Amino acid sequence: MKGQQIQKRLPLPYGSLIDRNTEVSFSFERKSYQGFAGDSIASALAANQQWLLSRSFKYHRPRGALTMAGQDANTMVQLPSNPNALADRELISDNLAIMAQNYSGSLNNDRGAVMGLFSRFLPVGFYYKAFFKPRGMWEKWAPIIRKKAGLGVINQQLEPQYYDKQYRFFDVVVVGAGPAGMQAALSAAVEGCEVLLVDENPILGGSLNYARFDAEGIRGQQLREKLIQKIEANSNITSMTDAVCNAWFADNWLPIIRGKRLYKVRAKQTILCTGALEQQAVFRNNDLPGVMMSSAAQRLIHLYGIRPGNAAVIVTGNNDGYANALDLLDAGVDVKAIVDLREQPKPDAIVFAAAARGIPVKTGYAVYEAQKSRNHLSAVEIRKVVSQGICADRGEVIPCDLLCMAVGYTPTYQLVCQAGGQLSYDDNSAMFTLINCPDAMQVAGSVNSHWNLDACLAEASRAAIIATNALGLTSTAIPEEIAKEPVSPNHPWPIFAHPSGKEFVDYDEDLTIADIINATRDGYEHIQLVKRYSTCGMGPSQGRHSALAAARLVAAATNRTVAQTGVTTARPPFAPEHLGHSAGRSFYPARRSNMHYRHLEAGAQMLQAGAWYRPAFYGAADGTVDNSETCINNEVNNVRNNVGLVDVSTLGGIEVRGPDAGEFLNRFYTFGFVKQPVGKARYALLTNEAGVVIDDGVACRFSDEHYYVTATTGGVDRVYQNMLKWNAQWRLDIDIANVTSAYCGVNIAGPKAREVLAKLCTDVDLSPSAFPYMGVREGTVAGIPARLIRVGFVGELGYEIHVPQHCGEALWDALMDAGQEQGIKPFGIEAQRILRLEKGHIIIGQDTDAMSNPMEVQMGWAVSRKKPFFVGGRTLTELENKPQLRSLVGFVVNDLNAPIPKESHLILDGEQMTGRVTSCNYSPTLQKPIGLAYVTPENTPAGSTFIIKSSGGVRVTAEVVKLPFYDPDTLRQEL
Amino acid sequence: MSSIMPTEVPRRSQLSRRHIELGAEFERSGYLLLVKDYGSQTEATQAQILGLVDLSTLPRTGFKGAGAPDWAATQALNLPQQPNTCTVQTDGSLVAKLSHQELLILSDLNGKSASIERLNNTPVDPQTYSLPRADSHCWLAITGSQAAEMFSKICAVDLRSHKFANGEIAQTSVAKANSIVIRNDQGSTHCFYILTDVSSAEFLWDCLLDAMVEYDGRPVGVAALRALV
Amino acid sequence: MKLLTCPLNGPRNISEFTYGGEYHPMPDPVHTDSRQWAEHVFFHDNAAGVVTEWWCHNASSFWFLAERNTISDEVIRTFEASEIFNQRIDFIAASTPEGSS
Repeated sequence: MKGQQIQKRLPLPYGSLIDRNTEVSFSFERKSYQGFAGDSIASALAANQQWLLSRSFKYHRPRGALTMAGQDANTMVQLPSNPNALADRELISDNLAIMAQNYSGSLNNDRGAVMGLFSRFLPVGFYYKAFFKPRGMWEKWAPIIRKKAGLGVINQQLEPQYYDKQYRFFDVVVVGAGPAGMQAALSAAVEGCEVLLVDENPILGGSLNYARFDAEGIRGQQLREKLIQKIEANSNITSMTDAVCNAWFADNWLPIIRGKRLYKVRAKQTILCTGALEQQAVFRNNDLPGVMMSSAAQRLIHLYGIRPGNAAVIVTGNNDGYANALDLLDAGVDVKAIVDLREQPKPDAIVFAAAARGIPVKTGYAVYEAQKSRNHLSAVEIRKVVSQGICADRGEVIPCDLLCMAVGYTPTYQLVCQAGGQLSYDDNSAMFTLINCPDAMQVAGSVNSHWNLDACLAEASRAAIIATNALGLTSTAIPEEIAKEPVSPNHPWPIFAHPSGKEFVDYDEDLTIADIINATRDGYEHIQLVKRYSTCGMGPSQGRHSALAAARLVAAATNRTVAQTGVTTARPPFAPEHLGHSAGRSFYPARRSNMHYRHLEAGAQMLQAGAWYRPAFYGAADGTVDNSETCINNEVNNVRNNVGLVDVSTLGGIEVRGPDAGEFLNRFYTFGFVKQPVGKARYALLTNEAGVVIDDGVACRFSDEHYYVTATTGGVDRVYQNMLKWNAQWRLDIDIANVTSAYCGVNIAGPKAREVLAKLCTDVDLSPSAFPYMGVREGTVAGIPARLIRVGFVGELGYEIHVPQHCGEALWDALMDAGQEQGIKPFGIEAQRILRLEKGHIIIGQDTDAMSNPMEVQMGWAVSRKKPFFVGGRTLTELENKPQLRSLVGFVVNDLNAPIPKESHLILDGEQMTGRVTSCNYSPTLQKPIGLAYVTPENTPAGSTFIIKSSGGVRVTAEVVKLPFYDPDTLRQEL
Repeated sequence: MSSIMPTEVPRRSQLSRRHIELGAEFERSGYLLLVKDYGSQTEATQAQILGLVDLSTLPRTGFKGAGAPDWAATQALNLPQQPNTCTVQTDGSLVAKLSHQELLILSDLNGKSASIERLNNTPVDPQTYSLPRADSHCWLAITGSQAAEMFSKICAVDLRSHKFANGEIAQTSVAKANSIVIRNDQGSTHCFYILTDVSSAEFLWDCLLDAMVEYDGRPVGVAALRALV
Repeated sequence: MKLLTCPLNGPRNISEFTYGGEYHPMPDPVHTDSRQWAEHVFFHDNAAGVVTEWWCHNASSFWFLAERNTISDEVIRTFEASEIFNQRIDFIAASTPEGSS
């Protein structure tokens, strides 16, 4: 069995990527195959003579390996967990079940291939033209078209997998480990320089692994071994293979993907040695399986030990085609002919070697058409080139099963262009070239249009010197710029239109010469417009093989130079990436109070407010939430009648201390604080410069120079930052410290609160006269140092007790224990919302919006008019001189059968919207729905009525009442 | 179950429940309660590879304000010169300078450093303000040869030993939580203190355990940390 | 990920910072006319070129200023706020001689 597999391969040293000792079984299209460990899906199938891999996107044409480098969409297959996998990139593994994509019936007999016959009815811009009118047409067609044009299938039953991320830091990152990249890494790895060498392939070496640099075919391998040896011996170099540098982001931040990990690499200097992508010749049926880049054939031979065909023709516009021919001969392929587009090739040693081995060469000829038999190339028709893109009327047919294309290259420009470099077109070399590379980035090798191996190495060393000089690690004289080769490998026009078409410019999108030219005739002349109109370059391979030919065609069709047609923008990512790479191991901070587990033990239903976990309400003993309303109402009643305990640890706390503390608060908040007595709390309302209410709290004055200011849970971080920012300007003599997390707090509230607290707090006189409403004291509770604040958010006798965070649970335990005989029960924020609503207290952010000013929310009393300045003051003065447009009022719904209005329900005057509800709940105390709403000024007097459009569109009548709803004389909270 | 439980004292780490779930054995000295170990015999070795320790209940304090550096200089402290560096004092405490006007003082691992209590009980100069550092932040230690490598999964600052010297401080984001990271090696073992908003302690603890898995990191008691010196 | 150099903490990923808006001096809140005050509060230059901006390093709550070119997104320099704000600012009331209340 094993022997059988080995017989399918060329002998060693061919096949550097495969391990002949490890066989791997897999299936493709439910047929089982064997390959070797290290085989890609495409190589393992090729070894078994399965060249057909997929069907094309639009015409369902048979497609096979094109680049063997994971750079094209022809090899996309369906894996169980993963659609659109690149068969020439993805490795085989035991029992991997692979299916082809995008066919109806079978891969060999795709009923969808009939689409090709209708191609003249599917012109470029077809969708725009056909489905634009009449209106609504697109909605009907879209599902049908999407089904037809679909690629792989997403597995929705997929088990989540563990993806994660890691930071890495390097002085120099070299992308691409070909000859230039390896040399750049070595030259950069001077004393004290940490270098990362990254390559998407499984082994270092790049083109040295497969390309032929001399007539004998030994130099590449020798150089590779020498460079790798040095790299392995150099402890300053870290090599990462199988790793794709998928983008360039600001300040040399490089996302490098390997396996299921995204490395977030920060480089001080980047050297891009990303190489060049070989380009196809454009002729009829240039997409048949068996037609491939010359480099793809060389990869099959050298990397996988696979003979890419039996009888080959090479179409070339440079001498690399001759090197390719020598490789094919050495691998036992019968080379039928080299078809050289050039009338007069410039021979070198390789060309002479090819001639010496008797390969027929047809100079000044082109491949005019490829012919197929059973979904594979069977012959090519070659014709004499008469003029640019024009062939003689007849030619000759050469039977073959392999056609290698060697007509030129495009630099792998993506990362350079993402970094701000530009792609330009040089008419002399007929090539895209890179210009204006940004600082802290060098390019070297074929990406910078160097084709001679020695020039690539010299330029790599030079780039490394520039980088290490910039890092201050060396001060070496920078060598002169390396001169470009006079002879370009790019043929200026390897494009031959055929009366029957099907000369593919863009394989992904099935676009032919006529499609591109027609786009220009439809008026789209800039390459960016041609791209969007024709979709050229918008497929998975992102123009890697279509940009050059399309640019040339557009230029010729519009009588301009290629440079004048413009270029498209290169955006990340370079290669497709899994969502898991972006989503994996994200951090969602969660905050818990020290009493958190006491809430859980008491059956609390927790909810997350921002990052904080807070008890919404405490569930019934069985833990079900069905009777949440009962639970909440019981909690409300217990506060009103006995005593309740709520965790307020999430509340913001900011210390403002120093001689100017009062002055600072005067400027920052709307109220006056300078004359606030020590031992008292005062309401603090915050507006921004536009006079909009953005936060509130209480300022507790513990001494002349010490205020402890509370802020809302969600607002405190912003309030704190704002305080610091203002005082960075005012330079008042104070200190500001955010101590939110340093304190845990509870509010013990209800008529029996004092009774309970008195059991645990003996060093503070709790009598109403000694410690009245809005008083603040410092003392101990259950032996824990505490700040006590008599506030009335819920409208009952109550004490907020703030203690050091680590003592929160101990405080909770002590109070729950002490309050047992008074019937103490915890209450959650749902009950607290009802309690505060009964008392008419607003919640910033719920009862206010991005336009609310203090007058609108009836807080004019909290704005001091006697201060020279406070943030928002000037704007409030302006607003007071203008008519008020709305007002927040309290309302009740007297019809107990009406659906209870909810937040954001609209207030209607006829069909005219005049306001909205901000809070509304059934009040267990008043036994009817109560709420707050913005209404027009004429609706503000108590007794006015207005209409709320409630749930289900029911119009509910609401009556305005004076706030607060509960205990209007505030007798209860001042007990 | 440990013979000593966190509920014996008022001051309880936010991570108490995590410790109990992991089978912690607690130790108690007065009101100070710490995890002694998690019942493993190899915790001292573990701490040399990758260990996570909760030190949150240990004493610490902080001072800030324009007068703070001069006042602190009168309190027999060996102050760091540069912001974001720290110095170890003769009583085992550590003084971290977070800005030109802010100091953070951490106790030794036994909670015995005299300077903390002395500072907290000494009247401060004008423009000097105390900070409740013992409660605002949790205090964890991450030790061992793999510590910096593990940090690179959750922190964007390069903490490798040749880039982040012993005694250096980074105020940065760790797993998206604002943190103070202090390198304070224990003997020859790398050690990072991390102080993060105390309410995020469990979140951070869970993130760290997750990030530590691939390096075989585990929680260890304070005994293992003391054994490193 | 862009880097920003905090004067206190050094170069850090920009995700560690909060943008605090463009810096421009506040006009005298008492004597400025309504139009000018509205310009200050509601209208912003959004200039193409070098602007001065407020930034805050979150982990240390440190506010500072940065000069940034809004065309190239290049940060030219960062500096402490005390470079501009080097003395205490006080406000004088328009007509209440007794000052703050």
